[in-house]
Amino acid sequence: MLRVIDLALSYGTTPVLEGVSMEVEDGEFVSLVGPSGSGKSTVLRAIIGLQAPSAGTVELTIDKRAIGFLFQDDALLPWRRAAENVALGLRLRGMPTAEAMTRANEWLGRLGLEGLGHRYPRELSGGQRKRVALAQVLALEPQLLLMDEPFAALDAITRARLSQDLLKLVEGRHMSVLLVTHDLEEALALSDNIYLLSRGPKARIAGQYPVPIPRPRDIIKARTHPEFGPLLERIWQNLSREVVGEPGKGDEWAGFSIGL
Amino acid sequence: MGRIFDRPLTRQLIGLAVLLTVWQLAANAGWLNPLYMPSPLKIWAALVQLFGSGSIWPHLAATFTAALGGLAIGVIVGVILGAAAAILPVIAELLEPVMILLNAVPRVVLAPLFVIWLGIGLASKVALSFILVAVLIFFTVYTGIRQVDRKLVERVITLGGGRGTLLREVYMPSVTAWVLGNLKVAVGFAFTGAVVGEFVAATKGLGYLLSFAQSTYNAALMLALVLVIMVFVLLIFAISEWLEKRLTRWRG
Repeated sequence: MLRVIDLALSYGTTPVLEGVSMEVEDGEFVSLVGPSGSGKSTVLRAIIGLQAPSAGTVELTIDKRAIGFLFQDDALLPWRRAAENVALGLRLRGMPTAEAMTRANEWLGRLGLEGLGHRYPRELSGGQRKRVALAQVLALEPQLLLMDEPFAALDAITRARLSQDLLKLVEGRHMSVLLVTHDLEEALALSDNIYLLSRGPKARIAGQYPVPIPRPRDIIKARTHPEFGPLLERIWQNLSREVVGEPGKGDEWAGFSIGL
Repeated sequence: MGRIFDRPLTRQLIGLAVLLTVWQLAANAGWLNPLYMPSPLKIWAALVQLFGSGSIWPHLAATFTAALGGLAIGVIVGVILGAAAAILPVIAELLEPVMILLNAVPRVVLAPLFVIWLGIGLASKVALSFILVAVLIFFTVYTGIRQVDRKLVERVITLGGGRGTLLREVYMPSVTAWVLGNLKVAVGFAFTGAVVGEFVAATKGLGYLLSFAQSTYNAALMLALVLVIMVFVLLIFAISEWLEKRLTRWRG
């Protein structure tokens, strides 16, 4: 589905990424975790082509248009109603407006926003806006979904419910996902495979961890799976050794959340 | 009954009534020189005279034509130049210094020049209104386009949108919102331009009447005219506010 090989990228003369290699298989849910500012988002931006890499390649077995990108913030068009925002991508793919609007409202319903399609983004809560943004991306039925800390700004309950709804949709549609997050527990509960990005500058992949929890999953029950705790601890330890450098230096952990 | 006094408007109206009464009484008592400070009733009489005889209408029409003409042309030209400067760096290089200079001086100093160039008719008033409005709108659009939310642009691109879509879905609505947000200021500028232009040299218009009142030492007429201008500008403010609310309902 997606293979990133030795990706390197700089902002001007500042190196951000160096030798990032990772893979997303067909139907696989992969997370990329790492400290804030390590360049996790940059990896996604390079995959979608918003940022040109200075070296390395991004190999895709699918068309670029089959990639959906969910941004960190819910940058919906403020002058368009929720359903119009969702319909925009469909219309850009040549669907007639009436059909696109019907489809958009179906997707809003699927994401628990039945009857809110006529609202403007400012009339929706943060969680609802996130759901609209998700509907906007999922309505295009992507084969690969890239998500950049999509739930970072939400409260814990909204976040858990949205993650669960998303997981159900992803599992049901055999979609591949690459999720960027700094929340290790979230990554463990959702993914089949976790890549660890080292601290920037010159961030690289510092480890890869398969998650042997069976699907379909319940994100709350997944946390009680016998493999969950030990794996969390192992990643956490490797993180302190490989990413942060010296273990035990408290302030170095800043920006990394274990989501307790 | 006590309820009605809780509202600010009630208290403001009472304040106004008190002021007018004191003013009228002071005039009746002979404490105010009627040449400089005519009584409220005198001003009222001047107003009645203006509207009763119908002599004010051609002047109002002249001022409105000049102001609205200058406003329309100023908005159109300001949007076009602002957009052009934001899109093409060459145009920005050429226009920015000119606009900064025009913005640095009070643009009404150009009034006598426009009279020399365009005569004492309508054209010189429209031109003054236009230049006041166009510079304002130019900066609104120029800085606005350069500050368009990058995230919205990127989102539309990742949804598959090209240049045309960006223009239609992101840039045009943003520009419309900024221009409408500045519409009230622009309306004020347009009327300033028209009235000042008429004040400098004209045969018609509220500004011309003001200058006539000044030359004949008619303070009552002058204050009546100031009142007329205020009321009509407030009326146009209300219309532009309504328009802004209607067209940018998404902003709430």
